[in-house]
Amino acid sequence: MGATDKQEHDAIHWLDQYGDALYRFAMARVHDSFTAEDLVQETLLAAYRSYKNFSGKSTVKTWLTGILKNKIADFFRKLKPEYGDANLGDYASSTANLFDKKEKWKIKPGDWGGDPKNVFERKELMAVIRACLTDMPEKTAYVYTMRELEGATTNEICERIQTGENNCWVILYRARMLLRRCLEVNWFGR
Amino acid sequence: MRHWMFSCKKITSMISESMDRDLSLYKRMGIRFHLMMCALCRRYRKQLLFIKSVLQQSDGVEDIFCQSLPSDARKRIEEKINDEGKHSHD
Repeated sequence: MGATDKQEHDAIHWLDQYGDALYRFAMARVHDSFTAEDLVQETLLAAYRSYKNFSGKSTVKTWLTGILKNKIADFFRKLKPEYGDANLGDYASSTANLFDKKEKWKIKPGDWGGDPKNVFERKELMAVIRACLTDMPEKTAYVYTMRELEGATTNEICERIQTGENNCWVILYRARMLLRRCLEVNWFGR
Repeated sequence: MRHWMFSCKKITSMISESMDRDLSLYKRMGIRFHLMMCALCRRYRKQLLFIKSVLQQSDGVEDIFCQSLPSDARKRIEEKINDEGKHSHD
């Protein structure tokens, strides 16, 4: 039983050591504390069960994060389509009223002035971005986060959530439209 | 034709697309001509690039979401791990 005890000890040790990092990683992508908790738990249990497969080539943290990434992708794959897929309603709502019938700007992009000058302003801006991402449809925010923050290619993204590449571009467009507008209203106050 | 051949709405999606893949020459020229004429779409493009640059300057996504694992959640996970340990003894 010695080996099992050691494994068990390890899983608890991972929780102590990497629990916060894994939780933040999950939160940044699913924006829901209960889902994030479940994902961290599943990750640690899966790691515990497959410890013998851990080659030691990467760090434990990288290994755990890899497992978590897959768990997150599974989560979004299983989400009901109406949540995230580029259905017409969602797509329309990201551009609704922004353009007139001739597809010219109706709600015109405002002048955002200069970039945030100091750390304080930047922190505030990040908080607004976070709130905006949290408000977005889940899969939209996830796809956008993978693209802009992790630098994943659209190819990698559609593989991960198993959707067509065209759908990915539509989702990214929608995310940018929503985030731009959300910042305009909530940060630049227009 | 004032804005060459693409509408503002179409241009906004093409600009977004250009951030994810290389566009055809036809589309690139379309965007360039449109932007020469249209201050609002120029502004839109600048704003998208600004948002992208802000996100890329942050030290990763987790930075934006600076929560740590709540202690009650930690306890629940710990119990699960211990359970799992017991089962594998059986």
